[in-house]
Amino acid sequence: MIKTSNITKKVTTNEGLLEILKPISFEVKSGESVAIVGASGSGKSTLLGLLAGLDEVSEGEIFLDDEPLHKMDEEQRAQLRGAKVGFIFQSFMLVQSLSALENVMLPAQIAGMDDARRQALTILEQVGLGHRASHYPNQLSGGEQQRVAIARAFIGQPKILFADEPTGNLDAANSEKIEKLLFTLNRELGTTLILVTHDEELASRCDRQLMMQAGQLTEATTVQPDSTPHASTTAAVRHG
Amino acid sequence: MGKVFSLAWRLFRHEARRGELTIILAAIILSVAAVLSLSLFSERLQGALTERSASFLAADRQLQARQPLDDNWMAAARSQSLATAAQVQTRSMVFSKGKMSLTDLRAINGDYPLKGAITVADKPFGTAAPITEVPEPGQAWIDSRLFQLLDIKLGDSIEIGDASFTVSRVLGQIPDAGFSLFSTDPLVLIRQTDLAKANITGPGSRVTYKAYFAGDNTSLEQYYEWLRPQLDDEIHRWQSVEDDTSAIGKSVARAGQYFLLASLLAIVLAAVSIAVAAQRYSQRHFDPVAIMKTLGATQSMIRQVYTLQIFFISALGIIIGIAAGVAIQQAVVSALADKVEVSLAVWHWRPVIIAVFTGVICAVLFSMYPLLRLFSIPPLRVLRRDMDATLSSKTLQFAVSGLAVFLLMWAYSQNLKISAILFASGVVLVAGLIAVTYGLIFIGRKLGSSKMGPWQLAWARIHRRAMDNSVQLISFSITIMLLLIVLVMRNDMVAQWQAQLPTGTPNYFLINITEEQKPDLNAHFAENDVRIEQFYPVVRGRFVAVNEQRVSTEVTKEDDPQDDNGRDGLGREANLTWSNTLQHENKIVAGSWHGDATASQDGYAVSVESDVADRLEIALGDTLTFNVGSEVVKARVTSFREVNWQTMQPNFFFVLSPAAMRDYTPTYITSFYLPTERKAGLTELLKPFPSITLFDVDARINQLRGIVEQVSLAVEFILVLVLIAGSLVLIAQVQASMDERQQELAILRTLGAKGRLIRASVIYEFVIIGVVAGFMAALANELSLYLLQTQLFNMTPSVHPEYWLIAPVTGALVVGALGAIGCWRLLTLNTSDLLRKIM
Repeated sequence: MIKTSNITKKVTTNEGLLEILKPISFEVKSGESVAIVGASGSGKSTLLGLLAGLDEVSEGEIFLDDEPLHKMDEEQRAQLRGAKVGFIFQSFMLVQSLSALENVMLPAQIAGMDDARRQALTILEQVGLGHRASHYPNQLSGGEQQRVAIARAFIGQPKILFADEPTGNLDAANSEKIEKLLFTLNRELGTTLILVTHDEELASRCDRQLMMQAGQLTEATTVQPDSTPHASTTAAVRHG
Repeated sequence: MGKVFSLAWRLFRHEARRGELTIILAAIILSVAAVLSLSLFSERLQGALTERSASFLAADRQLQARQPLDDNWMAAARSQSLATAAQVQTRSMVFSKGKMSLTDLRAINGDYPLKGAITVADKPFGTAAPITEVPEPGQAWIDSRLFQLLDIKLGDSIEIGDASFTVSRVLGQIPDAGFSLFSTDPLVLIRQTDLAKANITGPGSRVTYKAYFAGDNTSLEQYYEWLRPQLDDEIHRWQSVEDDTSAIGKSVARAGQYFLLASLLAIVLAAVSIAVAAQRYSQRHFDPVAIMKTLGATQSMIRQVYTLQIFFISALGIIIGIAAGVAIQQAVVSALADKVEVSLAVWHWRPVIIAVFTGVICAVLFSMYPLLRLFSIPPLRVLRRDMDATLSSKTLQFAVSGLAVFLLMWAYSQNLKISAILFASGVVLVAGLIAVTYGLIFIGRKLGSSKMGPWQLAWARIHRRAMDNSVQLISFSITIMLLLIVLVMRNDMVAQWQAQLPTGTPNYFLINITEEQKPDLNAHFAENDVRIEQFYPVVRGRFVAVNEQRVSTEVTKEDDPQDDNGRDGLGREANLTWSNTLQHENKIVAGSWHGDATASQDGYAVSVESDVADRLEIALGDTLTFNVGSEVVKARVTSFREVNWQTMQPNFFFVLSPAAMRDYTPTYITSFYLPTERKAGLTELLKPFPSITLFDVDARINQLRGIVEQVSLAVEFILVLVLIAGSLVLIAQVQASMDERQQELAILRTLGAKGRLIRASVIYEFVIIGVVAGFMAALANELSLYLLQTQLFNMTPSVHPEYWLIAPVTGALVVGALGAIGCWRLLTLNTSDLLRKIM
């Protein structure tokens, strides 16, 4: 589903060219759930941005569902995102001026789907917020906002879901709910999940864990007992 | 397109409901409403004033000729649905009971006047009131003075030429009587049909034939286009209200310029407020755009969605703005109804078109740059909140905004000069402000390192937000500058108008006073507590030659009372005066004043009014010849004078050195002021001096003063409208910038900063900005005013140092207070609400 080969990211700063990501190559199979863990500033979010096509690589190749992301311009990447990718963010990133229902409908509308409203309502029911469909983000709690965001992420039945610290802004109880929801939907819809997190507990629920350290990616050594057995065999992380 | 439209519409509806669009919507409404109400009001007022000026012409257009006018011309005018009227004017002797007097005879047809009114009084020197009738055939309406001169009363008969007329009314004034002090003979009004009977307009007599036209401007212009090729410049003279160079004409024209200026400034204000609001709108949509892009929205979709949004906002803003503009205008008009003559019956489409045009251009051009920025927001912002728009060309922003403002001003005023003046001042101001901003950054850096008090916080913010602040500083300064221009211009203009006719301006003139009568007259008036002004000696002469070359009367338009005010002395009969001292409101523009100079070998000295000198192509050093009685007086031109004809003072074309005239016996002319309530005692006052002629300009002065007062009042209201619009713009600006400060306030609050510290730091920040903006505005104001007054208003330029202090202080107070209010609103929220607001 995702294949990267020697991708790097460099930015120009006052002190000269800074390499945020060292050359990274790895593959993620369809339906897999992968956690990217690492300290703050290690480059996790940068990698996520590149994988999701929100940013451009400096060098290397990325294939998303066999499509060459590195060759696409912003317009083409937007279309690819609209068709195949879902997102969940730490800060929820709901459009404040739209109701919960309308936030969920937004990707479907952007993609030009006809029954956006019905689908959005169904999925809001699924995340347990059917009764709050007409509420605006600032009328919802953090946990509820994140559930709306999850509903929005899943409405287009994306092939890949990117989640950036999805429980980072939530308390333990809400985190638990969100995690459950995320993995259930992931399993039911067969979505590939790429998750960036600090939370070891959350990371451990994924099939695989990749560790970012100073711009370098390594396969995490400890594989939790409850993770799926094929995890370590499918990972192919190379450096250099 | 359908889905984009529905998404845009949905976003628009929600955002409107949630108050997200309030500021940009308010800016558009404000712009459209301000421009519409100002231009609608000024157009109507202008219309009313023009109408009033038209009454001094007795029509919208007047055609004068030295020979009878072609009947077909009048018929053609009527066929183009123009109203017409006719008058024949000549000077004629009137006889009664063995007495006689030269009169200014006007023979009119039944349609005269088309504009204004004839006024009549019930007794000589009584209070005159308008009347819609005209004299019946066989009747004559005569001036109060003529009753005095001929010693007759109502019902008596007078002889004019071969015909006899019954005096049936005391004539007060006719609309186009003209104002001239000398050689103005008492008016006599008869019907045109009686003129043939009188048989006085034969060959050799000096007759002016006048045709009057009234109707809508287009028809009048079309008619003139048709007529022009048939006119002969030597014989015909076409006059329109705009040609009016009298005091009234000039006041009205100047007021018109002021309204135009005020409307232009309103447009600029509108532009500034929309620019500020659009910037804020764009910034507040960075996140939604990044989210939509992340969710797969393409660039073109984002473009369509937000362009449609701006379209919805503009359309709504323009509709509400027009409604509000009409309402404001209506309110102003009804508030002024009894003070200013503004016709509500006329509806002008031009202001509406201008207002819509302004709304559209402002919305399109000023939201262009913010929108481009918005479109360029990278989707990565969803992960990295600090990611800003990739487009950040201030040059582009300034260029587009500048171009938009200039185009609007030019399109509206159709006056390159006024637009260029305002625009140039704006550019100088902006350049100065950018320099000042960098100066502030420098100061901020110096101050930023010490202990964190409110001042330091304020400076730190100014330092860090230098570029944002420069935009804010520019918008504050422009707003304050525009308000200053409107205010100071109004003050200068009204002051100069009022200075022309201060209270106590002489409203009666006495002419034909003999040397012997002077002491008696002085004593008698002093007894009656009336102050007599200076006595001017006058000798009637004939101006006959320049450097021995005879002057033809055609060239001089000799004694044509309809000529510009005060020129009546010119030509065959000139009123010569002499003086060692230069008269008040006279200015030497070339040569030097003769002063005490006595005769030299070059003859005597004469000072000539500059316009006459131009017209007669007189040069300094030329010798002019006058016939006084049977004597010849020659004088060399030693100076040209500019005379302010707007003062109701005796003015002269030729002022000779006293030596030149010492052998002649002059009569004297003087003036005095008598309050209107003492008018009844006038006849009594003058009883001991039956030979002295009284000339009453009280009505004329009141008329003039009435117009000046009306115009001043209207100007005042325009000022108030602009001030209100300007204040609203300032509020919007502060409000917009408050948003940007929310985050910092939330953090400071979270960190435990006391409300007092935060409030004080915000207030200080705004105070600093207000002081700088006010000071810069005052400087730019001086430049604009200098250019406007010298280039456009033909006024004496003035410097206003007081505003160099007033503007910064007011700027600091107003901007600081607005900042305090905005901040106070934020500080009433508890910290978590504040944090939530910025999430």
